[in-house]
Amino acid sequence: MTATNTAAQQLTAGPEPTTPRTRRRNRTWLAFVLPFLVPFTLFYVVPIVYAIWQSLFKTQRTGGLFGESHQVFAGLEQYANVLGDDTFRQGVLRVLLFGVVQVPAMLLLALLIALVLDSAVARLRRFFRIAFFVPYGIPGVIAALMWAFLYSPQLSPVVDLLNKVGTAPDFLGANLILWSIANVVTWTYTGYNMLIIFSALQALPQEVYEAARVDGAGALRTAWSIKIPMVRPALVLTAVFSIIGTLQLFTEPVVFQAISTNVTSGYTPNMQAYAVAAANNYPFSAALSVMLALATFILSFGFLRLTQRRAAA
Amino acid sequence: MSAPAIQRPAPTTAAPRRGRGPREASRVSVAVAVVFLVALAVYFLLPVYWLVVNSTKTQGDLVSSNGFWFAHFALLDNLKHLFTRDGGVFLRWALNSLLYAGLGAAVGTLLATMAGYGLAKYTFRGREALFSVILGGVLVPATALALPLFLLFARAHQTNTFWSVFLPSIVSPFGVYLSRIFAAASVPDEVVEAARIDGAGEMRIFFTIASRLMAPAMVTIFLFQFVAIWNNFLLPRVMLSDQQLYPLTFGLYSWQTQIARDPALQTLVIVGSLVSVLPLIIVFLSLQRFWQSGLSAGSIK
Amino acid sequence: MKSTDRPGRGRQRAVALLLALPLVATAACSSSGSESSSGSGGGSTAAASSCKPASGKVTLQFWTWVPGMQQVVDKWNAANPDIQVQVKETPAGNAGTYQNMFNALKANTAPDLGQVEYDSLASFRLQKGLKDISGCAGVNDAKAQFPDWTWSQVQMGGPGVYAIPQDIGPMALFYRKDIFDKAGLKPPATWDEYAKDAQVLKARGVYITHFPQQDANWFDGLLWQSGAKIFDISGSSVKVSLDGSDSTKVADYWQKLIDNKLVATNLQGFSPDLYKAWDTGKVATWVSAAWGYSTIRDNAKSSAGKWAVAPMPQWQAGDNAAGNWGGSTTAVFGQSQHPAEAAKFALWLNTNPEALTLENSLGGLYPAAKAGADLPALTKGVPFYGGQKVFDVFKQASSQVDTNFQWGPVMTDTNRFLSDGFTKALNGQGTLGEALKSAQTQTVSSLKSQGISAG
Repeated sequence: MTATNTAAQQLTAGPEPTTPRTRRRNRTWLAFVLPFLVPFTLFYVVPIVYAIWQSLFKTQRTGGLFGESHQVFAGLEQYANVLGDDTFRQGVLRVLLFGVVQVPAMLLLALLIALVLDSAVARLRRFFRIAFFVPYGIPGVIAALMWAFLYSPQLSPVVDLLNKVGTAPDFLGANLILWSIANVVTWTYTGYNMLIIFSALQALPQEVYEAARVDGAGALRTAWSIKIPMVRPALVLTAVFSIIGTLQLFTEPVVFQAISTNVTSGYTPNMQAYAVAAANNYPFSAALSVMLALATFILSFGFLRLTQRRAAA
Repeated sequence: MSAPAIQRPAPTTAAPRRGRGPREASRVSVAVAVVFLVALAVYFLLPVYWLVVNSTKTQGDLVSSNGFWFAHFALLDNLKHLFTRDGGVFLRWALNSLLYAGLGAAVGTLLATMAGYGLAKYTFRGREALFSVILGGVLVPATALALPLFLLFARAHQTNTFWSVFLPSIVSPFGVYLSRIFAAASVPDEVVEAARIDGAGEMRIFFTIASRLMAPAMVTIFLFQFVAIWNNFLLPRVMLSDQQLYPLTFGLYSWQTQIARDPALQTLVIVGSLVSVLPLIIVFLSLQRFWQSGLSAGSIK
Repeated sequence: MKSTDRPGRGRQRAVALLLALPLVATAACSSSGSESSSGSGGGSTAAASSCKPASGKVTLQFWTWVPGMQQVVDKWNAANPDIQVQVKETPAGNAGTYQNMFNALKANTAPDLGQVEYDSLASFRLQKGLKDISGCAGVNDAKAQFPDWTWSQVQMGGPGVYAIPQDIGPMALFYRKDIFDKAGLKPPATWDEYAKDAQVLKARGVYITHFPQQDANWFDGLLWQSGAKIFDISGSSVKVSLDGSDSTKVADYWQKLIDNKLVATNLQGFSPDLYKAWDTGKVATWVSAAWGYSTIRDNAKSSAGKWAVAPMPQWQAGDNAAGNWGGSTTAVFGQSQHPAEAAKFALWLNTNPEALTLENSLGGLYPAAKAGADLPALTKGVPFYGGQKVFDVFKQASSQVDTNFQWGPVMTDTNRFLSDGFTKALNGQGTLGEALKSAQTQTVSSLKSQGISAG
């Protein structure tokens, strides 16, 4: 069993308690933790607090149109604005729809590949593992640029091919664009998620399989009732990361704006936050970002709680 | 999953179990599996193939020739233009990326591993609360950080500097999480205690003994932090206005935005993408046996 | 991001996290307390009297995205050892550079000079980003060297001068002469004819043009031609009339073309797809600006010799109104310590014949200065357009641009709202008229969020 697989399983098991023997060294921990804690505070905690602080203000102006501007305290007014904003609501619904479809589809595919790789064709395993993992090494901007060419109705060899067989769908049209983006995300991260699940599978103890074989269980049966339950922690981990990633969707739709007429400026909440900041409305943008972070917290924690309850039941 | 395995896993990768598959699977199911895998391999590699093919094309052929096959072979010309354009700024970007990602990931890994080790091996009041705050950092969206970070750096007059992109990149909350669990599992308390009896200082114990045992976790944290910084788009976009400070991906994106004015940049963006993607893939492949072991604990998406 | 097997611990952790925040909040508040003073170098409007040349050597920072600008500046630097200019090449304004400029203004690190497009001038002025350089030597005298409408753009309805015009984008009609000839069509003189030609071409499987969803400022150019006054910023509050009768006329016209499927709705502006459609003759015209001649020339290479340029179609037969799309100014930023030297450089950059020639040949600029229209490169026939002297058309167009057109102070937002509305219209989920209405209300509320009274 690999050490790291343990780590994945520990996700649901809580941190390791230290033995009493180490407890007496009182201040030494600071020497270890402080070098991390200082930049963490400066570059994570302070900016978040600053964003929350900013979101409580609004701009007022004295001296006419081009007069002086002042930031005045506005309480939760920006949050009310965010909640009442149609673009924000539509953006949130859009990424939720995206997540509900894309995340399970991607993880299912990743799980399927991992199971197939684990049970068959041992000789080609290495090649496939690498082939599936390559997209993860390609930066999002570049991945989106490549797919943009493959979706293009005029330039894409794929569209050409499909047109010869029948009629190619309009990948960049209003009905498909969201799923074309979903495909790019799936393409990029399936291999990565697959490897996490695969590593977990590889680490399962041999005895379990022996026992299953003795019981006369087939490959499918073994996969369903032994393997999948045992890689559950890995699935939970990949799901949580996918949920976080979905809510932060930004790069791919931004790149697609240049070729599709169907990506609006507030297509995802993250894009809206950026566009609003670009128009110098920092308080509103800050409130948007804070709401987004909050939504991420709620969804990820909610998901973890749900999976725990299921596990307990 | 057996208890001892959690306490004391081997620090290196377990070799893949061999031989079990073929015995279980029939010929038919193997064939089905191979077809399934090959189809997926085509899906995953097709865009990469497209990138390779189109890196060899002239601007005109890019639009007019078949996207999946070679036209006039202009790769060398394209490469020459890539490396000489704007006074060789592409090389500068590559160097920047190497510094941001390489140095940033190295420093970030060291900080995260030390913190993880500290959290695992010492008990103190508020430890769990502190750990929770650090974990909360994983959930924060990039925009929520990038814009306020900019304003804070602006107050210190440090925007548009190397440090404005480098310093925020060295923080890896997930690295702390991973190394804490790894340290708890793979650095035995007995070993630490024995070293103490021998009179070794706490730091020395960490650097000579613990860090060695935690090597797989460190390689994993390094690699994924490296990718995260290498791919970072928003932070450089917000912080930097000086072309000389751009990292590769943002430099290529800035060219992409100028294509309307200067169409020749289209080929440079494509060949530049290829050149910038290859090292990353090579690094990943060559270090595969290291990161594979650390991977299942997951990483930054 | 973490869970335990004991219920309730997750909640404890979340609470601990929330409890930890106020601690660091105290630390952050001290650093953010000065936010209320909006941190920009004030006094930018009182510049008229303070434009005195410095004594001694001065170094100026200049941000621009015109290709080859470094070579132009090298000429200046060689001739002016006491006023050295450092060029920083940036991505195009809306591709992130404006954001960086605003950020730099907030951070007090803005350059002395920057390239700013006409439609963004008011936004910069709103953020205290621009210096009134009307008091600097030579600035007011330069007025005669530029077309009236460009000068009124940099004055923004008041006495001050906030930038020097650099280049312009007077609009005309690029069309595929070969396709028009084959269909027995002449270049349309009115928008009515344009719509009729669209039907003829559609019957032959050709779209007359595309409707670019992201190029809201293209649509602004059409509104400009129609005589619409979408903003009035002369008073102390902003008057927004995006959905006025002239604008609505333009919107309804294009909506009809969209409804009758006479324009391509799935081609984004400046996309490789569009270029291919031009190249293969699937799209036959482009109502565009002077600088567009190189966009077609460089991206639809195999259609060389088949294009021609005609004046923009008119709303009334016999009229001669033109719109403007794009073009930039050289602005002196509010925080510059050397406005006199900066203004001197900006004037040279945009009026000196040698500079204009280089900018045109290296950067493809169509100069704003009247003298620029007489550059050798802009008076001869262009081979790509069958030898036609296309710049004569644009020179003519420039003289027909409405002088009284004004931009709003949150144009980034306004154009974003328009583009978002276009998406709906192109999908059949709305109309362009509704896009105008929605941009109207959203712009007003965006102005209010900046503390501006608007209506």
